[in-house]
Amino acid sequence: DILQWPQISKCRSPEMETFSCFWTAGNFYNLTVPRMLQLLYKKSNEEDWKECPDYITSGQNSCYFNASYTSVWTPYCVQLASKNEVYDKKCFSVDEIVLPDPPVHLNWTLLNTSQTGIHGDIQVRWDPPPTADVRKGWITLEYELQYKEVNETKWKELKPRLSTMVPLYSLKTARDYEIRIRSRQRTSEKFGEFSEILYVSFSQIGIGCDHCTEEVEFPWFLVVVFGVCGLAVTVISIMLAKQPRLKMLIFPPVPVPKIKGIDPDLLKKGKLDEVNSILACHDNYKTQLYSDDLWVEFIELDIEDPEEKNRASDTDRLLSEDHLKSHSCLGTKDDDSGRASCCEPDIPETDFSASDTCDATSDSDQFKKATEKEEDLLCLGRQDNDESLPNPASTDLQSRPRNTQPENSNVWAPFEDSIESPHLSVHTQISNQNSLTSTDFYAQVSDITPAGRVVLSPGQKSKLGRAQREGCTEQNFTMDNTYFCEADVKKCIAVTSHEENEPHVQEQGYNEDGYFTTESLTTTVANFGASTAAPPSSEMPVADYTSIHIVQSPQGLVLNATALPVPDKEFNVSCGYVSTDQLNKIMP
Amino acid sequence: GLLLVALLVSHMLLTKEGVTSLPICPNGSVNCQLSLEELFDRAVKLSHYIHFLSSEMFNEFDERYAQGRGFIAKAVNSCHTASLTTPEDKEQAQQIHHEDLLNLILGVLRSWNDPLIHLASEVQTIKEAPETILWKAVEIEEQNKRLLEGMEKIVGRVHSGEVENDIYTPWDGLPSLQLADEDSRLFAFYNLLHCLRRDSHKIDNYLKVLKCRLIHDNNC
Repeated sequence: DILQWPQISKCRSPEMETFSCFWTAGNFYNLTVPRMLQLLYKKSNEEDWKECPDYITSGQNSCYFNASYTSVWTPYCVQLASKNEVYDKKCFSVDEIVLPDPPVHLNWTLLNTSQTGIHGDIQVRWDPPPTADVRKGWITLEYELQYKEVNETKWKELKPRLSTMVPLYSLKTARDYEIRIRSRQRTSEKFGEFSEILYVSFSQIGIGCDHCTEEVEFPWFLVVVFGVCGLAVTVISIMLAKQPRLKMLIFPPVPVPKIKGIDPDLLKKGKLDEVNSILACHDNYKTQLYSDDLWVEFIELDIEDPEEKNRASDTDRLLSEDHLKSHSCLGTKDDDSGRASCCEPDIPETDFSASDTCDATSDSDQFKKATEKEEDLLCLGRQDNDESLPNPASTDLQSRPRNTQPENSNVWAPFEDSIESPHLSVHTQISNQNSLTSTDFYAQVSDITPAGRVVLSPGQKSKLGRAQREGCTEQNFTMDNTYFCEADVKKCIAVTSHEENEPHVQEQGYNEDGYFTTESLTTTVANFGASTAAPPSSEMPVADYTSIHIVQSPQGLVLNATALPVPDKEFNVSCGYVSTDQLNKIMP
Repeated sequence: GLLLVALLVSHMLLTKEGVTSLPICPNGSVNCQLSLEELFDRAVKLSHYIHFLSSEMFNEFDERYAQGRGFIAKAVNSCHTASLTTPEDKEQAQQIHHEDLLNLILGVLRSWNDPLIHLASEVQTIKEAPETILWKAVEIEEQNKRLLEGMEKIVGRVHSGEVENDIYTPWDGLPSLQLADEDSRLFAFYNLLHCLRRDSHKIDNYLKVLKCRLIHDNNC
């Protein structure tokens, strides 16, 4: 056996007016004489230990302190001792050891039953423990109720409450219940003992439902049905997700207009500069920029069209009003050859899109519409000269059929403005072009910068009424408008204006807005120039512009030799260009 | 973080018990007066709340710092309010005049004003003091002030004669809360919290007795 010392098991006050202490004697003593043990107590403000006043009232091994011995908030110490030894000691104050008695007089009443009679509500009532003086407010109790069915093992608990009655809902009338209640002081944690058990039986008051033995079973059927529906929905959604065809059937994709790399908003806003720059960045676009004969490409010749071939020159074709109306100003209908012009036949505006694949004709349409106002640069000759150019350019052109060279620079200015639009080639129309039947009335676009600026080489002066450019060798290489000397593959400088005009022209030349000198031409141009120089190997001077004879490839064109009278020997044949004066000598 | 959540939850649960302030007077009323019953109701709720907080704070402190230090054995000390002769059992509480009892309540509350302020500030210097203890100390100090105000109102209503303000015990325990020796310091805190729990229980009980006596005519 384990040796057990006598110890004080607990001290308890049921109502905060008296208290008792209990101890266990242990097996230490073989003493038969009871009460060898003493319980001594002492209040905090006393010095002597006193003996327990009442060993009997609370039972064996207990000490009872009645009201006269009890001071509630005073610290006490008790000790269990024999004559020689102190076995245990406890210190406390009475307010800390309050454990109320259980409630009494439990009863229940029926509140109501359900319609089916299977369930019922009851109200349980009880009285506070009689020892606790609740009426005078000396002690405040709260109660906890527990209940269960008779054959269950686990009690259900309700939250502690201050009132002495509580309803219980939804009890099964077919079953019997047990109820018990315990109480505690409101600010304490420990509960007192449980009350006696209250038995609730509905059959006793005649409500018991004999045939209500059916339990509400778990609704397996409903569970299965809903589970199957859920699974079906999941499967269907998975199938839909994995079958693009089905998906497209239900959710057809909405096409969005788009050009690779082009923001549709830009086109809508009409910011031509930006669009021009964007388009310039297209690879296809770029390669064609440096082609010498860009303007030629955009003429859109249809070689299969016999009517086209019979044209003496593009000029005539262009001059034909009918033709112009029915075709784009650039020329023939679009045959979708490898030249990759996205110019649609009936669109009067220029087509500058450079992609072979022609990513989005819709965009080019958009763009055309956006730039409609400014355009018609390519169709300058289409209508009256007055209308052809948006601005003073037209008036300048017309009003200066014989402008002196100094004014030539001004002519270019309007071109600059008009060239702002991303049109690649500029056709200038001259009122006097009829007089130059064998000459075209286009200004040659020498180059297209990546930014979209059009590089012009000066056109025939006679058309524009300007002085013709000189031949290559006769001029210094200035950074001005120059002709590209095809034969020599060197840049032939033909100053638009004579030396006296150089300052102006130089300004023009360096004017970034309008155009650039042909010094920016690439070797492709040179190559091209070389190829086209073949026909004029004879002494026949080659005109500034030639019409396309054959379209060989996207990059190659064979030009017709223009029927120009043989120039004087003065001409520098190698250059192949004719200045105005020279031309005037040549022409009748 | 978890402590904070627990604190919040406990605070919410506590406030459910009716400590939140209720709107008394309708807007714009000038001479709005609560009934004595309402005043007592609020006072009892406050005192119960203060005792609840004190009890919890003491338990937490006991758990955290007092275990193994033998504080319990020494805790039979006297609180600074022991000099106030308050009823020690039900009989005495029944016999004392309600005005005297009210004055005593006021005296005890006033005597705790100072210690509570210092407790709230000094408890923060305990190393690794749990947030719950810190928060409770501050809360008790606040609620004690409110209870004091409420009690003064009640006294003003109930008193026929002049109000005695001389019931008061000064507190000189501040140096013990600032001792350098950690053990001694913690023991001082332990004692103070123990006394606080006891006195808050006293106040709570007296107020309930008064309420039942004055309002419900001994028939709560």
